Amino acid sequence: MAFLDNSGDIILDAVLTDTGRMRLAKGDGSFKIAKFALGDDEINYELYNKNHASGSAYYDIEIVQSPVLEAFTNNTSMMKSKLMTISRTNLLYLPQIVNNTSVGLSSYSATNNILTVLVDQTTVNDDSLATSTNDWINGYIIDKTTRPIVMDQGIKSDALGNGDDVVLDADLRETQYTIEIDNRFGKLWSGDGTTAAPPSFVDDDNVAVYYLSSRNDRFFSKLTSDEAIAGPRGSRLKFLVGPSTNLNSSTYLFTQLGTTSTLGGVAVYQIDTTVRITGVTTGYRVDLPIRFVKKQ
Amino acid sequence: MATTFKTLTSTNDITSTRTLLHEAIPLTGTIASGTYTDTNIKTYSHGMFESVYDYPYLSSSANHVFDITTGYSSVSALSGTLSIQNSKKLNVYSQMAQVLVGYDATGSIQRFDKDGDIASGGDKINEALFINFSRLLSKDEMKKGSFAMKVHTAGTPAANSAEITIADHNAATSYKVNSPAGEYGILYTGSAAEATASNGVGLVYYQAGVVVLTGSVFAASEMGPGIITGSGFSAVATGSTIDVMANCFRNRLEDISFNNTVELNSTVYFCRASHNEFNYSANPTYLSESQIRVKNSTTDNPVSYVTTVGLYSSDNELLAVAKLSEPLKKDPNTELTLRVRLDF
Repeated sequence: MAFLDNSGDIILDAVLTDTGRMRLAKGDGSFKIAKFALGDDEINYELYNKNHASGSAYYDIEIVQSPVLEAFTNNTSMMKSKLMTISRTNLLYLPQIVNNTSVGLSSYSATNNILTVLVDQTTVNDDSLATSTNDWINGYIIDKTTRPIVMDQGIKSDALGNGDDVVLDADLRETQYTIEIDNRFGKLWSGDGTTAAPPSFVDDDNVAVYYLSSRNDRFFSKLTSDEAIAGPRGSRLKFLVGPSTNLNSSTYLFTQLGTTSTLGGVAVYQIDTTVRITGVTTGYRVDLPIRFVKKQ
Repeated sequence: MATTFKTLTSTNDITSTRTLLHEAIPLTGTIASGTYTDTNIKTYSHGMFESVYDYPYLSSSANHVFDITTGYSSVSALSGTLSIQNSKKLNVYSQMAQVLVGYDATGSIQRFDKDGDIASGGDKINEALFINFSRLLSKDEMKKGSFAMKVHTAGTPAANSAEITIADHNAATSYKVNSPAGEYGILYTGSAAEATASNGVGLVYYQAGVVVLTGSVFAASEMGPGIITGSGFSAVATGSTIDVMANCFRNRLEDISFNNTVELNSTVYFCRASHNEFNYSANPTYLSESQIRVKNSTTDNPVSYVTTVGLYSSDNELLAVAKLSEPLKKDPNTELTLRVRLDF
């Protein structure tokens, strides 16, 4: 995508996304724009220079000169970071969402620094692959997985006080999350591995979107003592990602989209993808790399 | 409650507009007769019409420009079993007439009428040359009063003699509406002041993008492109195939120009960010160890920068997206109204 011409008046370059076109083509009235959000994907706030010698008018001089890309039509590639409405202006800290690998699932091993799903019985039963000391998701029997993926929300810094003593403001607490997974590869399971969550919708790019509410205690739990969040704590999200039937029963997608490798001395197929976790309240988003592994 | 979405209300934030866009379409005659030594002219084994492209038609870059065909009605003096491709010329005329003129009360196909007053009879166009413009050029419709065409009606094509200008003078305000194919205007030779019934030489169907030219324009003249010299229209129409007639015409074409029209139906979304909205960001670079980078203390105003407007369905699916050409600063001292227009 090219940059937009920023030499003159401010212009708006608007396009329908592929999902928008799909809904329009359906003709069933599902193309209905109901709300908007503002995004700042191209902005690097690290360029905000609060110590600029020429004064506050120049703090953002590099930010406002950032060139802006044309719109992508792929709906999942846009609006990665949204602007947030909080009526108070006196906030100095905002909560983040952090993958807590000390309580939850951590990477497969120090050398394979990625969350890993072993997709079928043969792979899980291979003692060289399924070593007892490492973390992995049991894709054959999900509820046999030792620990779920844990995402903790809160203020990482303890500048506002220790999380044991100070609570996160209610209006910043996440009570709903969306999780997006490539539907060809994985499905979402509850943290205890007993319940498969139904996707809210699967878009035209095969990305399944799951909405999770804090009312569902299979996915949520109270956030107590925690190393990832030192300051005020919000909510804890627990989930697992299981393999799709296709990954479990066939090597087709592995050969089409994946690679081959060796793991623990065993030849394996693998596919790397991303699970995207977004807090509905704050719009904060984390992309979690994940690897599906199948013994050759 | 912190939020990232704002609801659009249909009464205050969404409106619809309709805009007509016109493009000027200038076509030089050499496109139809020489630039590409006829490699841009496509003929068909059925011989019913000939297509003109703007580039050799075997190239994927070629665009279809227009088709040329010809025909006459069954009451024409030219119709007869001795005429070459007689049935095809009858069929072409009938097909065009049934689409563009329609049927009478008895269900019979009506003929093209010179002044458009079909009901009262009058002069009919019994021998016609049809120019069917591609939708790529005519788009939703040709703009009334914008059509003009120059053709040579005598001499060899190289002589460029007897040039006449044919135009739909006064059609912007005076056009006909009695066609099943939409509105049409009368084509006249000469200037606008000379646009009288006696100068009518054809019809232009604006929505259909079809020009119907009476054969009588060429009747008293030579018609051949060097292939059939010395023949009038009648002789060529009876003694030649449709392809040859199309060749005769396109080799005598000087130029064609018209404006097309695209009807844009737009929905405008007014995305309003009040002073106390969208001042914070979920951008990963916005925070450092959870502290907001653009603030030193709690008394500083939060600042964010808008580059994108996302339009969502009620279930949070991104349906449309608009990008600003430069980042726009948003803080509690500013309010923004971003006007996003989607054209359909």
